[in-house]
Amino acid sequence: MSRYARRIDRDLARWREAGWLSADGEAAIRADVAAQTRKVELAPVLGILGAVLIGFGAMSFVAAHWNDMARLFRLALILGGLFGAYGLAGVLFERRHPAFAHAAILVGVALFGAGIMLVAQMYHIDGHAPDAVLTWALGALLAGVILKSDPALALAMLLMGLWSGWEMSDSGTVHWAFLIGWAAVALAMLWRGWVPGLHLSAVVLGLWIINLGYFLFGGHGHAVVVGIGLVVAAAGLAAPAVSQRFSGWAMAAVAYGMMIAFAGLFALQFVETVALDYLILLAILALALVLAGIGYGLRVGSAAMLWLGYGGFSVEVLGLYFKTVGTLLGSSLFFLSAGAIVIGLAAIAYRLHARTHTGLEASP
Amino acid sequence: MTSERSRLWLGIAAVAATQAAVLGWMIWERVHLLASGREIVLEVVPVDPRSLFRGDYVTLGYDISRIAAPSGEPGPHRGEDIYVTLQKGEGDKWTVVGSGPQPPARTTADQVVLKGRIQHAIAASGGSPAQTLVRYGIESFFVPEGTGRELEGLVRQKKLSALIAVDSDGNAGIKGLIVDGKRVYEEPLL
Repeated sequence: MSRYARRIDRDLARWREAGWLSADGEAAIRADVAAQTRKVELAPVLGILGAVLIGFGAMSFVAAHWNDMARLFRLALILGGLFGAYGLAGVLFERRHPAFAHAAILVGVALFGAGIMLVAQMYHIDGHAPDAVLTWALGALLAGVILKSDPALALAMLLMGLWSGWEMSDSGTVHWAFLIGWAAVALAMLWRGWVPGLHLSAVVLGLWIINLGYFLFGGHGHAVVVGIGLVVAAAGLAAPAVSQRFSGWAMAAVAYGMMIAFAGLFALQFVETVALDYLILLAILALALVLAGIGYGLRVGSAAMLWLGYGGFSVEVLGLYFKTVGTLLGSSLFFLSAGAIVIGLAAIAYRLHARTHTGLEASP
Repeated sequence: MTSERSRLWLGIAAVAATQAAVLGWMIWERVHLLASGREIVLEVVPVDPRSLFRGDYVTLGYDISRIAAPSGEPGPHRGEDIYVTLQKGEGDKWTVVGSGPQPPARTTADQVVLKGRIQHAIAASGGSPAQTLVRYGIESFFVPEGTGRELEGLVRQKKLSALIAVDSDGNAGIKGLIVDGKRVYEEPLL
Protein backbone atom coordinates (compact mmCIF):
# COMPACT_ATOMS: atom_id res chain seq x y z
CA MET A 1 0.00 0.00 0.00
CA SER A 2 1.37 3.40 -0.91
CA ARG A 3 1.84 6.11 1.65
CA TYR A 4 -1.13 8.00 0.27
CA ALA A 5 -3.31 4.89 0.42
CA ARG A 6 -2.37 4.26 4.06
CA ARG A 7 -3.12 7.84 4.95
CA ILE A 8 -6.49 7.94 3.20
CA ASP A 9 -7.31 4.65 4.91
CA ARG A 10 -6.74 6.22 8.32
CA ASP A 11 -8.60 9.39 7.38
CA LEU A 12 -11.60 7.48 6.03
CA ALA A 13 -11.95 5.60 9.29
CA ARG A 14 -11.83 8.88 11.21
CA TRP A 15 -14.34 10.62 8.93
CA ARG A 16 -16.74 7.70 9.12
CA GLU A 17 -16.64 7.73 12.90
CA ALA A 18 -17.26 11.46 12.88
CA GLY A 19 -20.35 10.74 10.84
CA TRP A 20 -19.28 12.83 7.80
CA LEU A 21 -19.23 9.89 5.49
CA SER A 22 -21.86 7.37 4.46
CA ALA A 23 -20.87 3.75 3.93
CA ASP A 24 -21.57 4.17 0.20
CA GLY A 25 -19.41 7.24 0.04
CA GLU A 26 -16.55 5.49 1.78
CA ALA A 27 -16.78 2.51 -0.56
CA ALA A 28 -16.77 4.83 -3.59
CA ILE A 29 -13.70 6.67 -2.30
CA ARG A 30 -11.87 3.40 -1.61
CA ALA A 31 -12.66 2.11 -5.09
CA ASP A 32 -11.43 5.36 -6.62
CA VAL A 33 -8.20 5.30 -4.62
CA ALA A 34 -7.56 1.69 -5.62
CA ALA A 35 -8.15 2.54 -9.29
CA GLN A 36 -5.94 5.65 -9.18
CA THR A 37 -3.01 4.15 -7.33
CA ARG A 38 -0.46 3.03 -9.87
CA LYS A 39 0.88 -0.25 -8.71
CA VAL A 40 4.64 -0.50 -8.85
CA GLU A 41 5.07 -4.18 -9.28
CA LEU A 42 8.18 -5.94 -8.13
CA ALA A 43 8.50 -8.33 -11.09
CA PRO A 44 9.12 -5.69 -13.80
CA VAL A 45 11.60 -3.88 -11.58
CA LEU A 46 13.49 -7.10 -10.98
CA GLY A 47 13.31 -7.87 -14.69
CA ILE A 48 14.98 -4.57 -15.59
CA LEU A 49 17.62 -5.01 -12.89
CA GLY A 50 18.26 -8.52 -14.17
CA ALA A 51 18.71 -7.19 -17.68
CA VAL A 52 21.25 -4.65 -16.48
CA LEU A 53 23.15 -7.37 -14.64
CA ILE A 54 23.10 -9.68 -17.66
CA GLY A 55 24.35 -6.82 -19.81
CA PHE A 56 27.28 -6.20 -17.51
CA GLY A 57 27.93 -9.91 -17.13
CA ALA A 58 28.00 -10.45 -20.89
CA MET A 59 30.34 -7.53 -21.37
CA SER A 60 32.81 -8.60 -18.71
CA PHE A 61 32.72 -12.25 -19.77
CA VAL A 62 33.36 -11.38 -23.38
CA ALA A 63 36.06 -8.90 -22.44
CA ALA A 64 37.81 -11.53 -20.31
CA HIS A 65 37.74 -14.23 -23.00
CA TRP A 66 38.06 -11.93 -25.97
CA ASN A 67 41.65 -12.78 -26.80
CA ASP A 68 41.04 -16.52 -26.93
CA MET A 69 38.40 -16.19 -29.60
CA ALA A 70 38.81 -16.11 -33.35
CA ARG A 71 37.75 -12.84 -34.94
CA LEU A 72 34.87 -14.25 -36.90
CA PHE A 73 33.62 -15.95 -33.78
CA ARG A 74 33.73 -12.64 -31.91
CA LEU A 75 31.69 -10.99 -34.63
CA ALA A 76 29.20 -13.83 -34.65
CA LEU A 77 28.90 -13.59 -30.89
CA ILE A 78 28.12 -9.87 -30.92
CA LEU A 79 25.63 -10.04 -33.77
CA GLY A 80 24.05 -13.24 -32.48
CA GLY A 81 23.59 -11.71 -29.06
CA LEU A 82 22.06 -8.62 -30.62
CA PHE A 83 19.51 -10.50 -32.73
CA GLY A 84 18.88 -12.92 -29.87
CA ALA A 85 18.02 -10.16 -27.42
CA TYR A 86 15.62 -8.38 -29.77
CA GLY A 87 14.09 -11.68 -30.85
CA LEU A 88 13.52 -12.57 -27.21
CA ALA A 89 11.87 -9.19 -26.73
CA GLY A 90 9.48 -10.00 -29.57
CA VAL A 91 8.57 -13.36 -28.07
CA LEU A 92 8.01 -11.79 -24.64
CA PHE A 93 5.77 -9.09 -26.14
CA GLU A 94 3.70 -11.81 -27.79
CA ARG A 95 3.38 -13.71 -24.54
CA ARG A 96 2.16 -10.53 -22.84
CA HIS A 97 5.19 -9.99 -20.64
CA PRO A 98 5.90 -6.40 -21.67
CA ALA A 99 8.13 -5.63 -18.68
CA PHE A 100 10.47 -8.51 -19.46
CA ALA A 101 10.31 -7.62 -23.15
CA HIS A 102 11.54 -4.11 -22.32
CA ALA A 103 14.32 -5.65 -20.25
CA ALA A 104 15.32 -7.74 -23.29
CA ILE A 105 15.34 -4.59 -25.44
CA LEU A 106 17.62 -2.98 -22.88
CA VAL A 107 19.95 -5.98 -23.19
CA GLY A 108 19.90 -5.53 -26.96
CA VAL A 109 20.82 -1.85 -26.69
CA ALA A 110 23.57 -2.70 -24.18
CA LEU A 111 24.95 -5.32 -26.56
CA PHE A 112 24.93 -2.75 -29.36
CA GLY A 113 27.09 -0.49 -27.17
CA ALA A 114 29.34 -3.40 -26.24
CA GLY A 115 29.61 -4.23 -29.94
CA ILE A 116 30.82 -0.72 -30.75
CA MET A 117 33.47 -0.97 -28.02
CA LEU A 118 34.55 -4.45 -29.03
CA VAL A 119 34.85 -3.65 -32.73
CA ALA A 120 36.94 -0.62 -31.81
CA GLN A 121 39.13 -2.88 -29.71
CA MET A 122 39.36 -5.49 -32.45
CA TYR A 123 40.76 -3.02 -34.94
CA HIS A 124 42.69 -0.88 -32.46
CA ILE A 125 40.48 2.08 -33.32
CA ASP A 126 41.35 4.95 -31.05
CA GLY A 127 39.05 7.50 -32.56
CA HIS A 128 37.06 10.28 -31.04
CA ALA A 129 35.32 8.47 -28.15
CA PRO A 130 32.25 10.78 -27.94
CA ASP A 131 31.37 9.78 -31.51
CA ALA A 132 31.06 6.19 -30.32
CA VAL A 133 28.80 7.29 -27.45
CA LEU A 134 26.62 9.26 -29.89
CA THR A 135 26.32 6.21 -32.15
CA TRP A 136 25.22 4.18 -29.14
CA ALA A 137 22.73 6.87 -28.10
CA LEU A 138 21.19 6.92 -31.59
CA GLY A 139 20.88 3.14 -31.50
CA ALA A 140 19.08 3.37 -28.16
CA LEU A 141 16.79 6.11 -29.52
CA LEU A 142 15.95 3.97 -32.55
CA ALA A 143 15.04 1.01 -30.35
CA GLY A 144 13.05 3.27 -28.03
CA VAL A 145 10.99 4.83 -30.82
CA ILE A 146 10.35 1.81 -33.03
CA LEU A 147 9.74 -0.67 -30.23
CA LYS A 148 8.02 1.93 -28.01
CA SER A 149 10.40 1.17 -25.18
CA ASP A 150 10.62 3.76 -22.42
CA PRO A 151 13.69 2.21 -20.72
CA ALA A 152 15.59 2.39 -24.02
CA LEU A 153 14.63 6.07 -24.33
CA ALA A 154 15.88 6.70 -20.80
CA LEU A 155 19.20 5.10 -21.72
CA ALA A 156 19.32 7.21 -24.89
CA MET A 157 18.84 10.36 -22.80
CA LEU A 158 21.62 9.40 -20.36
CA LEU A 159 23.93 8.60 -23.27
CA MET A 160 23.18 11.97 -24.89
CA GLY A 161 24.27 13.61 -21.63
CA LEU A 162 27.43 11.49 -21.52
CA TRP A 163 28.16 12.32 -25.16
CA SER A 164 27.89 16.04 -24.57
CA GLY A 165 29.81 16.01 -21.29
CA TRP A 166 32.66 14.09 -22.89
CA GLU A 167 32.65 16.37 -25.93
CA MET A 168 32.77 19.50 -23.73
CA SER A 169 35.54 18.25 -21.47
CA ASP A 170 37.45 17.18 -24.58
CA SER A 171 37.16 20.42 -26.55
CA GLY A 172 36.78 22.90 -23.69
CA THR A 173 33.99 24.68 -25.55
CA VAL A 174 30.19 24.60 -25.41
CA HIS A 175 28.74 21.64 -27.24
CA TRP A 176 25.65 23.06 -28.94
CA ALA A 177 24.92 19.92 -30.94
CA PHE A 178 23.72 18.40 -27.66
CA LEU A 179 20.50 20.40 -27.98
CA ILE A 180 19.60 18.54 -31.19
CA GLY A 181 20.24 15.12 -29.64
CA TRP A 182 18.44 16.10 -26.45
CA ALA A 183 15.42 17.42 -28.35
CA ALA A 184 15.21 14.23 -30.40
CA VAL A 185 15.04 12.02 -27.30
CA ALA A 186 12.80 14.44 -25.37
CA LEU A 187 10.35 14.59 -28.30
CA ALA A 188 10.24 10.81 -28.38
CA MET A 189 9.41 10.80 -24.66
CA LEU A 190 6.76 13.49 -25.18
CA TRP A 191 5.26 11.41 -28.00
CA ARG A 192 5.15 8.44 -25.64
CA GLY A 193 3.65 10.68 -22.95
CA TRP A 194 6.15 9.24 -20.48
CA VAL A 195 6.27 11.65 -17.54
CA PRO A 196 9.27 10.19 -15.63
CA GLY A 197 11.24 10.32 -18.89
CA LEU A 198 10.34 13.98 -19.34
CA HIS A 199 11.61 14.69 -15.84
CA LEU A 200 14.84 12.87 -16.72
CA SER A 201 15.07 15.08 -19.83
CA ALA A 202 14.61 18.17 -17.67
CA VAL A 203 17.35 17.05 -15.27
CA VAL A 204 19.80 16.29 -18.09
CA LEU A 205 19.07 19.61 -19.80
CA GLY A 206 19.37 21.41 -16.45
CA LEU A 207 22.81 19.91 -15.82
CA TRP A 208 23.85 20.93 -19.32
CA ILE A 209 22.66 24.50 -18.73
CA ILE A 210 24.52 24.64 -15.41
CA ASN A 211 27.62 23.44 -17.26
CA LEU A 212 27.28 26.33 -19.71
CA GLY A 213 28.52 28.61 -16.95
CA TYR A 214 31.85 26.82 -16.90
CA PHE A 215 32.33 27.00 -20.68
CA LEU A 216 30.80 30.30 -21.87
CA PHE A 217 32.93 33.46 -21.84
CA GLY A 218 36.10 31.59 -20.95
CA GLY A 219 34.46 29.78 -18.05
CA HIS A 220 32.79 32.86 -16.56
CA GLY A 221 29.27 32.42 -17.89
CA HIS A 222 27.48 31.71 -14.62
CA ALA A 223 25.40 34.89 -14.84
CA VAL A 224 23.85 33.47 -18.02
CA VAL A 225 22.95 30.31 -16.09
CA VAL A 226 21.27 32.40 -13.39
CA GLY A 227 19.35 34.29 -16.06
CA ILE A 228 18.16 31.11 -17.79
CA GLY A 229 17.12 29.59 -14.48
CA LEU A 230 15.13 32.67 -13.47
CA VAL A 231 13.40 32.80 -16.87
CA VAL A 232 12.42 29.13 -16.58
CA ALA A 233 11.12 29.64 -13.03
CA ALA A 234 9.20 32.76 -14.08
CA ALA A 235 7.69 30.85 -17.00
CA GLY A 236 6.60 28.16 -14.55
CA LEU A 237 4.95 30.78 -12.34
CA ALA A 238 3.21 32.43 -15.27
CA ALA A 239 2.17 29.21 -17.03
CA PRO A 240 -1.06 28.47 -15.12
CA ALA A 241 -2.30 31.99 -15.86
CA VAL A 242 -1.76 31.47 -19.60
CA SER A 243 -3.43 28.11 -19.91
CA GLN A 244 -4.64 25.41 -17.56
CA ARG A 245 -2.97 22.91 -19.87
CA PHE A 246 0.45 23.84 -18.50
CA SER A 247 -0.49 23.79 -14.84
CA GLY A 248 0.74 20.22 -14.40
CA TRP A 249 4.24 21.27 -15.36
CA ALA A 250 4.25 24.66 -13.66
CA MET A 251 5.62 23.47 -10.35
CA ALA A 252 8.28 21.34 -12.01
CA ALA A 253 9.39 24.30 -14.15
CA VAL A 254 9.62 26.54 -11.08
CA ALA A 255 11.64 23.91 -9.22
CA TYR A 256 14.03 23.18 -12.10
CA GLY A 257 14.43 26.88 -12.89
CA MET A 258 15.20 27.75 -9.30
CA MET A 259 17.74 24.93 -9.03
CA ILE A 260 19.48 26.08 -12.20
CA ALA A 261 19.55 29.69 -10.99
CA PHE A 262 20.82 28.56 -7.59
CA ALA A 263 23.62 26.50 -9.17
CA GLY A 264 24.63 29.56 -11.18
CA LEU A 265 24.58 31.81 -8.12
CA PHE A 266 26.56 29.22 -6.19
CA ALA A 267 29.27 29.16 -8.88
CA LEU A 268 29.34 32.99 -9.00
CA GLN A 269 29.92 33.12 -5.26
CA PHE A 270 32.19 30.20 -4.60
CA VAL A 271 33.83 29.13 -7.87
CA GLU A 272 34.64 32.61 -9.14
CA THR A 273 36.79 34.97 -7.10
CA VAL A 274 34.61 37.91 -6.17
CA ALA A 275 35.00 41.10 -4.14
CA LEU A 276 33.41 41.04 -0.72
CA ASP A 277 30.65 43.56 -1.44
CA TYR A 278 29.70 41.71 -4.61
CA LEU A 279 29.72 38.44 -2.67
CA ILE A 280 27.32 39.89 -0.11
CA LEU A 281 24.97 41.01 -2.88
CA LEU A 282 25.09 37.54 -4.46
CA ALA A 283 24.56 35.85 -1.10
CA ILE A 284 21.48 38.01 -0.47
CA LEU A 285 20.17 37.06 -3.92
CA ALA A 286 20.84 33.36 -3.32
CA LEU A 287 19.16 33.42 0.07
CA ALA A 288 16.21 35.35 -1.37
CA LEU A 289 15.93 32.71 -4.10
CA VAL A 290 16.00 29.90 -1.55
CA LEU A 291 13.41 31.62 0.65
CA ALA A 292 11.24 32.27 -2.41
CA GLY A 293 11.50 28.56 -3.19
CA ILE A 294 10.44 27.64 0.34
CA GLY A 295 7.61 30.16 0.16
CA TYR A 296 6.46 28.71 -3.15
CA GLY A 297 6.66 25.20 -1.67
CA LEU A 298 4.42 26.28 1.22
CA ARG A 299 1.95 27.99 -1.13
CA VAL A 300 1.51 25.00 -3.47
CA GLY A 301 1.86 22.53 -0.61
CA SER A 302 4.83 20.68 -2.08
CA ALA A 303 7.02 18.84 0.40
CA ALA A 304 9.62 18.18 -2.30
CA MET A 305 9.94 21.90 -3.00
CA LEU A 306 10.32 22.59 0.72
CA TRP A 307 13.08 20.06 1.08
CA LEU A 308 14.85 21.46 -1.99
CA GLY A 309 14.62 24.86 -0.35
CA TYR A 310 16.02 23.62 2.95
CA GLY A 311 18.78 21.82 1.06
CA GLY A 312 19.63 24.93 -0.93
CA PHE A 313 19.64 27.01 2.23
CA SER A 314 22.07 24.62 3.92
CA VAL A 315 24.37 24.50 0.89
CA GLU A 316 24.39 28.28 0.63
CA VAL A 317 25.08 28.79 4.32
CA LEU A 318 27.80 26.16 4.32
CA GLY A 319 29.41 27.73 1.25
CA LEU A 320 29.35 31.14 2.90
CA TYR A 321 30.79 29.69 6.06
CA PHE A 322 33.83 28.29 4.28
CA LYS A 323 34.19 31.41 2.18
CA THR A 324 34.00 33.87 5.04
CA VAL A 325 36.15 32.03 7.54
CA GLY A 326 39.02 34.36 8.26
CA THR A 327 37.86 37.19 6.04
CA LEU A 328 37.22 40.81 6.96
CA LEU A 329 33.59 40.18 7.56
CA GLY A 330 34.14 37.36 10.02
CA SER A 331 31.85 34.40 9.92
CA SER A 332 30.30 34.98 13.32
CA LEU A 333 29.18 38.48 12.36
CA PHE A 334 27.83 37.10 9.10
CA PHE A 335 25.80 34.39 10.79
CA LEU A 336 24.48 36.80 13.40
CA SER A 337 23.25 39.21 10.75
CA ALA A 338 21.98 36.42 8.48
CA GLY A 339 20.10 34.89 11.40
CA ALA A 340 18.58 38.28 12.25
CA ILE A 341 17.49 38.79 8.64
CA VAL A 342 15.93 35.34 8.36
CA ILE A 343 14.06 35.75 11.65
CA GLY A 344 12.89 39.14 10.48
CA LEU A 345 11.60 37.60 7.28
CA ALA A 346 9.92 34.87 9.30
CA ALA A 347 8.14 37.52 11.38
CA ILE A 348 6.94 39.31 8.24
CA ALA A 349 5.78 36.02 6.74
CA TYR A 350 3.90 35.22 9.93
CA ARG A 351 2.16 38.61 9.87
CA LEU A 352 1.17 38.16 6.24
CA HIS A 353 -0.05 34.67 6.91
CA ALA A 354 -1.99 35.82 9.95
CA ARG A 355 -3.64 38.61 7.98
CA THR A 356 -5.00 36.17 5.41
CA HIS A 357 -5.91 33.51 7.97
CA THR A 358 -7.65 35.48 10.68
CA GLY A 359 -8.00 32.45 12.87
CA LEU A 360 -4.32 32.65 13.73
CA GLU A 361 -4.53 36.21 14.99
CA ALA A 362 -6.66 35.19 17.94
CA SER A 363 -4.01 33.00 19.48
CA PRO A 364 -1.25 35.16 20.95
CA MET B 1 -0.31 -13.04 -38.76
CA THR B 2 -2.31 -10.14 -37.40
CA SER B 3 -1.23 -6.66 -38.35
CA GLU B 4 -0.24 -5.91 -34.76
CA ARG B 5 2.01 -8.96 -34.67
CA SER B 6 3.61 -8.23 -37.99
CA ARG B 7 4.20 -4.63 -36.94
CA LEU B 8 5.94 -5.84 -33.79
CA TRP B 9 8.23 -8.21 -35.65
CA LEU B 10 8.89 -5.68 -38.37
CA GLY B 11 10.02 -3.23 -35.68
CA ILE B 12 12.18 -5.86 -33.99
CA ALA B 13 13.80 -6.76 -37.30
CA ALA B 14 14.33 -3.11 -38.23
CA VAL B 15 16.05 -2.26 -34.93
CA ALA B 16 18.23 -5.36 -34.85
CA ALA B 17 19.17 -5.06 -38.53
CA THR B 18 19.98 -1.35 -38.28
CA GLN B 19 22.18 -1.80 -35.23
CA ALA B 20 23.90 -4.81 -36.80
CA ALA B 21 24.40 -2.78 -39.98
CA VAL B 22 26.08 0.00 -37.99
CA LEU B 23 28.51 -2.51 -36.47
CA GLY B 24 29.02 -4.13 -39.87
CA TRP B 25 29.72 -0.76 -41.42
CA MET B 26 32.31 0.02 -38.74
CA ILE B 27 34.04 -3.27 -39.51
CA TRP B 28 33.81 -2.88 -43.28
CA GLU B 29 35.27 0.61 -43.11
CA ARG B 30 38.19 -0.65 -41.05
CA VAL B 31 38.81 -3.72 -43.20
CA HIS B 32 38.72 -1.57 -46.30
CA LEU B 33 41.20 0.88 -44.77
CA LEU B 34 43.60 -1.82 -43.62
CA ALA B 35 43.37 -3.80 -46.85
CA SER B 36 43.65 -1.01 -49.38
CA GLY B 37 45.35 1.80 -47.46
CA ARG B 38 48.94 2.74 -48.12
CA GLU B 39 51.34 1.17 -45.67
CA ILE B 40 53.75 3.31 -43.72
CA VAL B 41 55.94 2.40 -40.77
CA LEU B 42 56.24 4.77 -37.83
CA GLU B 43 58.67 4.39 -34.97
CA VAL B 44 56.92 4.24 -31.62
CA VAL B 45 58.29 6.57 -28.97
CA PRO B 46 57.55 6.53 -25.26
CA VAL B 47 54.75 8.96 -24.58
CA ASP B 48 53.97 9.38 -20.97
CA PRO B 49 56.55 8.19 -18.48
CA ARG B 50 53.79 7.91 -15.92
CA SER B 51 51.83 5.09 -17.40
CA LEU B 52 52.43 3.57 -20.76
CA PHE B 53 50.47 0.52 -19.97
CA ARG B 54 46.86 0.99 -19.07
CA GLY B 55 44.53 -1.93 -18.66
CA ASP B 56 44.98 -4.24 -21.60
CA TYR B 57 46.12 -1.74 -24.11
CA VAL B 58 49.35 0.03 -24.82
CA THR B 59 49.49 3.72 -25.54
CA LEU B 60 51.63 4.35 -28.58
CA GLY B 61 53.33 7.66 -29.14
CA TYR B 62 55.00 8.80 -32.34
CA ASP B 63 57.41 11.50 -33.41
CA ILE B 64 54.58 12.88 -35.50
CA SER B 65 52.33 13.20 -32.44
CA ARG B 66 54.02 16.50 -31.54
CA ILE B 67 54.42 18.86 -34.47
CA ALA B 68 55.25 22.50 -34.98
CA ALA B 69 52.06 24.54 -34.93
CA PRO B 70 50.79 25.32 -38.41
CA SER B 71 51.37 28.95 -39.34
CA GLY B 72 48.60 31.41 -40.13
CA GLU B 73 45.53 32.77 -38.41
CA PRO B 74 43.58 31.62 -36.55
CA GLY B 75 45.87 29.35 -34.62
CA PRO B 76 44.98 25.72 -34.03
CA HIS B 77 42.35 24.87 -31.43
CA ARG B 78 41.73 21.76 -29.41
CA GLY B 79 39.37 19.34 -31.10
CA GLU B 80 39.87 20.63 -34.64
CA ASP B 81 40.85 18.47 -37.56
CA ILE B 82 44.39 18.82 -38.84
CA TYR B 83 46.00 17.34 -41.92
CA VAL B 84 49.65 16.43 -41.51
CA THR B 85 51.85 15.71 -44.51
CA LEU B 86 54.62 13.16 -44.03
CA GLN B 87 57.57 12.61 -46.29
CA LYS B 88 59.62 9.45 -46.57
CA GLY B 89 63.25 10.19 -45.88
CA GLU B 90 66.44 8.31 -45.19
CA GLY B 91 66.07 4.83 -43.75
CA ASP B 92 62.38 4.82 -44.64
CA LYS B 93 61.70 7.25 -41.78
CA TRP B 94 58.60 9.39 -42.19
CA THR B 95 58.92 12.98 -41.07
CA VAL B 96 56.48 15.86 -40.94
CA VAL B 97 56.88 18.36 -43.77
CA GLY B 98 53.69 20.35 -43.39
CA SER B 99 50.33 20.66 -41.69
CA GLY B 100 47.13 22.64 -42.01
CA PRO B 101 43.38 22.65 -41.51
CA GLN B 102 42.82 21.43 -45.09
CA PRO B 103 44.54 18.58 -46.93
CA PRO B 104 47.29 19.87 -49.23
CA ALA B 105 46.26 20.40 -52.85
CA ARG B 106 49.01 18.15 -54.18
CA THR B 107 51.49 15.69 -52.78
CA THR B 108 54.43 13.84 -54.27
CA ALA B 109 54.73 10.07 -54.49
CA ASP B 110 56.89 9.82 -51.38
CA GLN B 111 54.44 11.83 -49.29
CA VAL B 112 51.39 10.75 -47.39
CA VAL B 113 48.71 12.84 -45.66
CA LEU B 114 47.34 11.84 -42.23
CA LYS B 115 44.14 13.25 -40.81
CA GLY B 116 44.42 13.98 -37.10
CA ARG B 117 42.60 15.76 -34.34
CA ILE B 118 44.28 18.48 -32.33
CA GLN B 119 44.56 17.34 -28.75
CA HIS B 120 46.39 20.30 -27.38
CA ALA B 121 47.87 23.52 -28.71
CA ILE B 122 50.93 24.72 -26.84
CA ALA B 123 51.72 28.43 -27.23
CA ALA B 124 55.26 29.53 -27.92
CA SER B 125 57.14 30.45 -24.78
CA GLY B 126 60.68 31.15 -23.70
CA GLY B 127 62.30 30.50 -27.06
CA SER B 128 60.48 27.23 -27.73
CA PRO B 129 58.17 27.50 -30.73
CA ALA B 130 54.42 26.87 -30.65
CA GLN B 131 53.58 23.20 -30.86
CA THR B 132 50.54 21.09 -31.51
CA LEU B 133 49.77 17.69 -30.04
CA VAL B 134 47.89 15.58 -32.55
CA ARG B 135 46.02 12.29 -32.27
CA TYR B 136 45.58 10.20 -35.37
CA GLY B 137 43.47 7.43 -33.87
CA ILE B 138 46.42 5.03 -33.92
CA GLU B 139 47.52 5.61 -30.34
CA SER B 140 45.94 2.60 -28.67
CA PHE B 141 46.92 -0.99 -29.25
CA PHE B 142 44.88 -3.63 -27.48
CA VAL B 143 47.00 -6.56 -26.43
CA PRO B 144 46.36 -9.99 -24.96
CA GLU B 145 46.15 -9.66 -21.21
CA GLY B 146 49.51 -9.73 -19.48
CA THR B 147 51.64 -8.89 -22.49
CA GLY B 148 51.42 -5.13 -22.11
CA ARG B 149 54.51 -4.87 -19.91
CA GLU B 150 56.61 -6.66 -22.49
CA LEU B 151 55.56 -4.23 -25.20
CA GLU B 152 56.15 -1.34 -22.87
CA GLY B 153 59.75 -2.50 -22.41
CA LEU B 154 60.23 -2.70 -26.17
CA VAL B 155 58.93 0.85 -26.52
CA ARG B 156 61.47 2.06 -23.92
CA GLN B 157 64.28 0.39 -25.84
CA LYS B 158 63.01 2.10 -29.00
CA LYS B 159 62.66 -1.23 -30.74
CA LEU B 160 59.01 -0.97 -31.59
CA SER B 161 57.44 0.39 -34.75
CA ALA B 162 53.85 0.44 -35.88
CA LEU B 163 52.61 -0.66 -39.26
CA ILE B 164 50.00 1.88 -40.27
CA ALA B 165 47.52 1.81 -43.13
CA VAL B 166 46.45 5.18 -44.51
CA ASP B 167 43.58 5.68 -46.94
CA SER B 168 43.17 8.45 -49.47
CA ASP B 169 41.19 10.60 -47.01
CA GLY B 170 44.02 10.46 -44.48
CA ASN B 171 42.34 8.05 -42.06
CA ALA B 172 44.86 5.82 -40.38
CA GLY B 173 44.61 2.42 -38.74
CA ILE B 174 47.06 0.10 -37.01
CA LYS B 175 47.76 -3.00 -39.08
CA GLY B 176 50.35 -4.52 -36.83
CA LEU B 177 53.47 -3.92 -34.80
CA ILE B 178 57.07 -4.39 -35.87
CA VAL B 179 59.77 -5.42 -33.42
CA ASP B 180 63.37 -5.30 -34.66
CA GLY B 181 62.16 -5.32 -38.22
CA LYS B 182 59.93 -8.36 -37.73
CA ARG B 183 56.17 -8.09 -38.02
CA VAL B 184 54.43 -9.18 -34.84
CA TYR B 185 50.88 -8.87 -33.64
CA GLU B 186 49.74 -8.54 -37.20
CA GLU B 187 46.15 -9.60 -37.05
CA PRO B 188 43.99 -11.02 -39.79
CA LEU B 189 41.42 -8.62 -41.17
CA LEU B 190 38.51 -10.67 -39.95
